[in-house]
Amino acid sequence: MSTTETFSVSRPPGGAPKGTPRRLGTPMLATPAIIFVAIGLLAPLALMLRNSLNHYDPTELMVSAITPENYLKFFGDSFYQGVLWRTVWISGLSTAICLLAGVPVAYFLARHVGDLAKRMLLILILVPLLIGNAVRTSAWMLILNDKGVLAAFLGLFGHNGPLGLMYSSAGVVIGLISVLLPFMIITLNSVFESIDRNLEDAGESLGASHLTIMRRIVLPLALPGILSGSVLCFILSMNAYATPVLIGGPTFHMMAPTVYQQIAKVMNWPFGAALAFILMAVTLILTVGVSVLVQRRYRKWSE
Amino acid sequence: MSSQARSVRLAYTATSILVIGFIVLPLVFIVWMSFFSNKILSFPPEGYTLDWYRRAWEMSDFRNGFFLSLRTSLIATVVALSLGLPASFALVRGRFRGRETINTILMSPMIVPGIVGGSALFVFFLEVEFLTGWRIAGSSIGLIIAHSLIALPWMIRLVTTSLISVPPSVEEAARSLGAGPLTVFFRVTLPVIRAGVIAGSLFAFVNSFIDLEKSIFLVGPDSTTLQIALINYLEWNFDSTIGAVATVQIGLITLLLLITDRYAKLSRAF
Repeated sequence: MSTTETFSVSRPPGGAPKGTPRRLGTPMLATPAIIFVAIGLLAPLALMLRNSLNHYDPTELMVSAITPENYLKFFGDSFYQGVLWRTVWISGLSTAICLLAGVPVAYFLARHVGDLAKRMLLILILVPLLIGNAVRTSAWMLILNDKGVLAAFLGLFGHNGPLGLMYSSAGVVIGLISVLLPFMIITLNSVFESIDRNLEDAGESLGASHLTIMRRIVLPLALPGILSGSVLCFILSMNAYATPVLIGGPTFHMMAPTVYQQIAKVMNWPFGAALAFILMAVTLILTVGVSVLVQRRYRKWSE
Repeated sequence: MSSQARSVRLAYTATSILVIGFIVLPLVFIVWMSFFSNKILSFPPEGYTLDWYRRAWEMSDFRNGFFLSLRTSLIATVVALSLGLPASFALVRGRFRGRETINTILMSPMIVPGIVGGSALFVFFLEVEFLTGWRIAGSSIGLIIAHSLIALPWMIRLVTTSLISVPPSVEEAARSLGAGPLTVFFRVTLPVIRAGVIAGSLFAFVNSFIDLEKSIFLVGPDSTTLQIALINYLEWNFDSTIGAVATVQIGLITLLLLITDRYAKLSRAF
């Protein structure tokens, strides 16, 4: 949005003089789009919030009521708490690994490659992201399968027997990382590029090692980007569907597949709706909580 | 370059190759697998064949799914264009209160998780059906609505980015010379933001084409998109037919993204 500011600064104070014809931008132009989003997203979400307070009856399906029973059912049932807990730790672990693997790549792209190479590498990173969850997950099934690429490769070194990566948490984490890494790399890359290179050169000329420069100069300055990249990855993995379903298999339960199961298969709309709102609320609380904690710590760090 | 700087650089290069390889290699393998002649998948292959492409084409789920996805995403892109282009003007050129709120509302389909948005839409459609008897879930209208919602924020994001770089004074000059608002739009603004509109349309199309989480609630027995056909097949089978379908999709999307990148830097879209 910085460009808008540049233009508004260069314009005469007070905006366009009175009497000039009205510009194209009136709120009216956004009305059709707003109505469409309101009907296609906001109204259905409001309805779902209302449904989460309804009563479920196995024969009549949904009975109108105002009851917290669906939320209470979630918090009284250790199975669903286990599902939530698994979703949270898998997401946290995947985000942490993405951060560790993403920082060097993003920094490499920002500091060590030319423009053309960078553009090519960014496309190479983005194509797998936009190839779709179905195709990407099937590619990982091909790799992780007991008779797949990885098993064949390890076989060359004398490792035989099943890998056990399919239908395991490790397999799901691997699959998730490959979806999330491109987001992390792109977010971090734009932050690293906005950092003044002279600061690093100054540190180096004063004798700091590269690790010290990263730890004391680059990473503190990149903290907002690190935070937003991690939040993005965490949110995406909390809501992941294809990876847990296909790599995790039918007995591996995470939140998004459970919401789908309840709403589309069991047709328990009240409970499914409650699950969806619990998922969104927990994601929001955790991301806001961690952001506040990190920023508070960072303030001490920079003082 | 000092030896320390050289070893730092080497460490970054090596890590980056590993990580980018981790992201890209699975796709390379699935393309490779689509040419294996083995009936039962094993490495290395016994030979090569193009037969899986024929088999994938002969499977009506994949063939019909491909054309349904193509058609749905095309219509969704047109809907997103006709709603998103005017909305982008309001967002960039407008000086009114609540502009940020409108922006948040228009971006919300991107922010609300696909499974949550999809299930809300599914239940909403079924409740409308109870009330009016009009069947939307499982029909192509339902799919088009969902896919247009996916496409709209991407369209607006890329068009506004390119509109911001056009100074309003260009339009004001045309207006002061007597051009009407529509003439200004078609003869002045649209040619300047053409690249943004093309990039926005391609990006909207790609994101609609690959959607899984919203569509999964809305597909019906005779309206299954390619992504849903893929995961339905994957639940019980794993053979090189998957590789053939995946390869076609990888080729199509890579091509579209390379075209997009000519008009707008891809990484800016995120």
